Amino acid sequence: MKREDLIQKWLDHNLTSDELEAFKQLEDYDDLVKLSNGMQHFKAPEYNTSEALNNVMQHINTSKQPPQKKWLSIAMSIAAVFVISFGIYFFTINQDTLVNTQLAEKTTIELPDASSVALNSLSEITFNTHKWNKKRTVDLKGEAFFKVEKGSSFNVNTVYGTVTVYGTQFNVKQRENYFEVICYEGLVGVTYKGKETKLHAGESFLLLNGKLIEKEKELKTQPSWLNNESYFKSMPYKEVIAEFERQYDVNFHVINLDSSQLFTGSFTHNNIENALKSITLPLHLTYKKTDNTITLKRE
Amino acid sequence: MPKPLHDNICDEILFTSLFEKHAKNLHNFLHYKFGEQLNPKDKVQEAFIKLWQNCGKIPSNKAKSFLFTTANNLMLNEAAHQKVVLKHQQIKPKHYTNESPDFVMEEQEYLQKLEKAIANLTEAQRTAFLLNRVEGKRFKEIAELLDISVKAVEKRIYGALKKLREDIKEL
Repeated sequence: MKREDLIQKWLDHNLTSDELEAFKQLEDYDDLVKLSNGMQHFKAPEYNTSEALNNVMQHINTSKQPPQKKWLSIAMSIAAVFVISFGIYFFTINQDTLVNTQLAEKTTIELPDASSVALNSLSEITFNTHKWNKKRTVDLKGEAFFKVEKGSSFNVNTVYGTVTVYGTQFNVKQRENYFEVICYEGLVGVTYKGKETKLHAGESFLLLNGKLIEKEKELKTQPSWLNNESYFKSMPYKEVIAEFERQYDVNFHVINLDSSQLFTGSFTHNNIENALKSITLPLHLTYKKTDNTITLKRE
Repeated sequence: MPKPLHDNICDEILFTSLFEKHAKNLHNFLHYKFGEQLNPKDKVQEAFIKLWQNCGKIPSNKAKSFLFTTANNLMLNEAAHQKVVLKHQQIKPKHYTNESPDFVMEEQEYLQKLEKAIANLTEAQRTAFLLNRVEGKRFKEIAELLDISVKAVEKRIYGALKKLREDIKEL
């Protein structure tokens, strides 16, 4: 048997007694045995299996059973998802939708039942989409034109009063010391100080400085501002100026002028020069425009 | 492939038997491969804890390779390939006690040479050779432990022996 094979077999602890004898005859037998015995000095330290097992079991038992932990954490995460989604649901259900317009801005929005609202400049409307089926109510600050679909009663709340309607078109204008409702179609009820006034098509309700003012019948089918024009009939001049400021985002500086005098006329929202002429010429006023300030002066 | 008897090992009795079967081998394997300074005992414990945490995913016939791979990775994470030096132990086995001082001296020198020579072996050679010589394991057992063929074990061990003898002669 070859030397190499003998060594291999010796290494594998697989020598027969004959082979062992042959192996002992090898010239490097002593060398090999010496090396092999020397190796014993490199033995790994004694490993105490039962002690190590105790350590591991202790560790495992203090940190709970993994399968249960897994179920618990899954249950917890499912619960968390429910809690969060209910939270979001209740939060959004009570969350009102708010739409507002800035100076010189107009917008039209659709309400949940396809009723539409056109918002004039510097106005704000608030409503709740989720409760819309039960209660058609909007809160309004400023001026808006409503086209209401037929259905249950539709309320517009303003600080001056509530407007109730049943499928119609009407304009509500609520500004400082100013509250006007014009009905263009159908029937509108205006509740002011607990008293309801019914408005038929063409009729209007105007409250100026706390006083009710009678107006003649409206012949137009929709408010003029929807056509980018503000129309006034026998209105105090300061209301005209206030509307102008809202439409063009400018400030008026008025000198030597009685702002409560009445004005009849209109101005456009598209051209400030023409608009200024429209409101100054009839009263023989001069205007001077510097940046965003307009100075009005009586000649 | 035969279906394993247990498709998971989330059972304390089964886990304990696995521990008794593999812990010592794993410890020795780590010791010979990475040396003492990286604390193979701790790695064995960590590997078994990891095995328990993942017990639902591991069938019993995969446990051994999971343990060895995990412990090996734990070691590798810790030591970025520093050179392994296996220190020979100062406590001598009994049959040397009555030797002459000359012999003891020579013996010490020889062990120092051996220590250096072992440090020069490759990781694979060292692990296989020490398991074979020190733990007295047969090629087949080592092959199972390391998940390699018997032929490969043979090669590693014979190669290690050759290299050690050459190195010792040179030193």
